[in-house]
Amino acid sequence: MSNDKTAALQSGLGPIGRREFLAGAGLAAGASLLGAPRARAADRVEITFSSAKFFGKQTMAEVVEAYNQSQSKVHVTYVELPPPSSSTEVHQALVQQLVRKTGTPDVFTQDVVWIAEMAGAGWALPLDEYFPASARTDYFPGLVAACTYNNKLTALPWFVDSGMLYYRTDLLEAAGAKVPETWADLVSTAEAIQKSGKAKFGYLWQGKQAEVLVCDAVEVIASNGGAILSADGKSGALGSDKSIEAIQFLYDTINKSKISPSDVLSWDEEPSRQPFTGGDAAFLRNWSYVYSIAQDPKGSSVVGKVGVAPLPHFAGGKSAACLGGYQFGVNAATKNREAAIDFLTWMSSPATQLRFALQLGIAPTRPAVYDDAQLGKEQPFMKQLKSVFVGATPRPVTPKYAQVTLAIQSGVSKALVSGNVKAELEAANTRIDQILGK
Amino acid sequence: MRLGTVAARKPRNRWPDATPWLLLVPIAVSLGTVSVYPILNGLWLSLRNTSLVSQQDDFVGLLNYGVLLGDDAFWNAWRHTLVFTFVSTALETVIGMGMALLLFEQFTGRSLIRAAMLVPWAMPTVVTSKMFGWLFDGQHGVVNWLLLSAGLIRDNINWYGSVDHALGTIIVADVWKTTPFMALLLLAGLQTIDGSLTEAARMDGAKTWQAFLYVRLPMLWSTLLIAGLFRALDAFRVFDLVYVLTGGGPADSTETLSTLSYKTLFSTLQFGYGSTLSTAMFITEAIIAVGFAVFIVRQLGRAR
Repeated sequence: MSNDKTAALQSGLGPIGRREFLAGAGLAAGASLLGAPRARAADRVEITFSSAKFFGKQTMAEVVEAYNQSQSKVHVTYVELPPPSSSTEVHQALVQQLVRKTGTPDVFTQDVVWIAEMAGAGWALPLDEYFPASARTDYFPGLVAACTYNNKLTALPWFVDSGMLYYRTDLLEAAGAKVPETWADLVSTAEAIQKSGKAKFGYLWQGKQAEVLVCDAVEVIASNGGAILSADGKSGALGSDKSIEAIQFLYDTINKSKISPSDVLSWDEEPSRQPFTGGDAAFLRNWSYVYSIAQDPKGSSVVGKVGVAPLPHFAGGKSAACLGGYQFGVNAATKNREAAIDFLTWMSSPATQLRFALQLGIAPTRPAVYDDAQLGKEQPFMKQLKSVFVGATPRPVTPKYAQVTLAIQSGVSKALVSGNVKAELEAANTRIDQILGK
Repeated sequence: MRLGTVAARKPRNRWPDATPWLLLVPIAVSLGTVSVYPILNGLWLSLRNTSLVSQQDDFVGLLNYGVLLGDDAFWNAWRHTLVFTFVSTALETVIGMGMALLLFEQFTGRSLIRAAMLVPWAMPTVVTSKMFGWLFDGQHGVVNWLLLSAGLIRDNINWYGSVDHALGTIIVADVWKTTPFMALLLLAGLQTIDGSLTEAARMDGAKTWQAFLYVRLPMLWSTLLIAGLFRALDAFRVFDLVYVLTGGGPADSTETLSTLSYKTLFSTLQFGYGSTLSTAMFITEAIIAVGFAVFIVRQLGRAR
């Protein structure tokens, strides 16, 4: 009996098709129903799974329970952390557990910006042997890059989100303009719409001294072919001409073209979203959650007038979308590696990703899932996002991200407030070099 | 801890002498664990380079303090914290004094108003913060609308997004929230002053303001100082208003010591340097407290 179980467990490790997997899961569930339910719990390998709180029509706990029901080898206990809006607390709770190296939690979810830190500290198990290069091509390439640290896959993609451009289809049509592809196009269209008096604001973004400012900065800088850190992640590149030009552009939206109100300097996601769904703005940079709010007649005056596109880029650059979302990780100190991998395989499988998309409204990391007919019917918007996520760009990858991000936030905020873009970014870059050099 | 061992050793031969020590054990243990130990541990950590992320944990002596002295971010936060503390405490004391004097007078519905006055103070600060976020919203805030309607400003003011206004706006929110607390303390102080003194002053021909300035105020000094001390120490730790409203921005213009140490300790998990920051905070607070204490002692001495 126990030999059979080990065999079944190992067979679950390799990449297997969704149908086979579901069939196997169904058989296992059926078998467990026939067996004595009391003995079942004792025979299972117990692991814990810790994640920030996500919910939609279903909760995370329900999804985990579905895994527990689907097979009879592993039992997962779900430990809920605060929601991702309290990201500092989630991070702290995770690190405090991982640093003890007791093997608990066996599997966890992590914000995409923590991956390097978890890997650099040796808390995350490298997953290369379980998910070979061939299996990784099933995910968005930007995500696999973000999950890779020092050439090792240390996280497995779970769900993706990124910055994107929201625009008003009606205003663009009235202005006879196309969806802007470059920042220059965006400025001229926004100016024209503002001049016509049809919208109070041209373009809304997030300039509050907070994590979101780093995202907005990454997007403009990368769309100019620049980067915040050097390619090896060992020194800063915030003082480069390309970065300065990009941040200067953000400054100019407030002070030169005046397509953005100076209020954006104190706005994070929600304050910038409200004027847009209230019908006051032509363009908005935000995450995917805005779409459903914009289409809800209860809180939006722009229902049916909103389109989504990849963010614009500088002439000669490529559109860049700051990569967000949470990814899976396995505790390097886990005592139940096989069970953890089995659970992970199930969680990241196409079937489960589809379930997350349909029930929790979070976007799959496998492009193939976007072609699912049911997803197209129930979440038509998500389908459009495939093109946006292809351009997803990670934020600076370094184990010292937590310190680096504070330096970027402070430096970029100072540049945007004072207008001394070059001097402030160079000062911030020196600070980043100090942090990385330590 | 030492008290405990004394208590354990002595009972056998000299039980009666040990009793007071024994009775002190619970309070010594609880104070020791929740107050003394964390402070000492913080001091100890401030001499180490402990970081969960880089997993270092070595003794580095005064290195952290050297870094601190040259850390612009620290001095920037230190200045904001002092400005916030002094301005908000001063405003709260003056306005609180006025409120206390009003509430001391007899009028119908006084007890109701006294109770209602405490509502701002009883409200969770995060709620206050959100509320002020809306009131001072740069685009749709009531404050801008009122000022515009009154013709005092020509364009909307960007309260939280401009380095010139952000800290001031946070001070206004704090004054609104905590003035009632000051007023209540001062009201209690006023009630301890014998009414016959004011009456006598009046009979001698003192005007209302003279009776206040020469009779009530001198007798209220020690209450004022103690209330000011409480308020200043509390204001020094300001965290929630800043955290919710601006996150320290724009351009670090509202960063305070509490938010900076929070970021260093809990966001970057540098327990060593973070503890150095909190120790610096502790020292500054101690200086403020000693300053007040000197005045209080002098005042009490004069009263005798």
